[in-house]
Amino acid sequence: MTQTITIAPVRKTIQVKTSAAHAFEVFTAGLDRWWPKDHGIGKTPRKAVLMETRLGGRWYEVAEDGTQTNIGRIVAWEPPQRFVMSWDINSQWKPDTTVASEVEVRFIAEGANATRVELEHRKFERMGAEPGEKMRRDVDGGWPGLLEVFRAHVERA
Amino acid sequence: MAYGNTLSALADPTRRRVFERLKDGPHAVADIARGLPVSRPAVSQHLKVLKEAGLVADRPEGTRRVYYIDPQGLGALRKWLDQFWDEALAAFQAEAERSAQGGGKDTQGRKHDK
Repeated sequence: MTQTITIAPVRKTIQVKTSAAHAFEVFTAGLDRWWPKDHGIGKTPRKAVLMETRLGGRWYEVAEDGTQTNIGRIVAWEPPQRFVMSWDINSQWKPDTTVASEVEVRFIAEGANATRVELEHRKFERMGAEPGEKMRRDVDGGWPGLLEVFRAHVERA
Repeated sequence: MAYGNTLSALADPTRRRVFERLKDGPHAVADIARGLPVSRPAVSQHLKVLKEAGLVADRPEGTRRVYYIDPQGLGALRKWLDQFWDEALAAFQAEAERSAQGGGKDTQGRKHDK
């Protein structure tokens, strides 16, 4: 599959007044303590969003009824410096391991209580990739679903 | 407004197929129409809408016009993710700093003060 559509990665940097180790810990093991309640993908209402803190571990949601929805999988695990996860969400904002974009988060110590956190979400073009032949509902693939989510999001804000 | 245009432009399944035909590079109308179950004028019409929505652009190439995906038009996706991560990271920062300072409020039994 040729992929000539490329979309610039989303890059974010924030400064956190704590150690890199603590920042890493909160971001990963502590995911459920801070992940915004409205940033859900799976079944609602959502009970928790969790990360299995190891290489190959999942980032997943648990709904009130116990349903689990996988968001991604850890593909690089180097605490407390960085981790990379596949983001197995398609442009319909649905779980789909065939279209994974990628999220890398780096924790750079700038002092005992100062950490720069850099996040890069990249390879979006994979989200728009044509679905494999054996898979699914063709015309519903593509950008509109995500744009729809975007619109709902903006209007809610 | 731009988002509204993008949304409505891509809401039509045929138009989406026209758009997706451009994923592997620029094409003339005749190329795009080939294999699609719609007439060439219909394809031209779809391209016009996509162009107005900022999703495709065109340029002359010899005696014909070729159409290609305008990367700017896909900015809507990027912009949404941009905001998505802004919000997430702001929440992360607040929690990381709150729990680092300790003492404060409930940390759900998870203290990480070092």
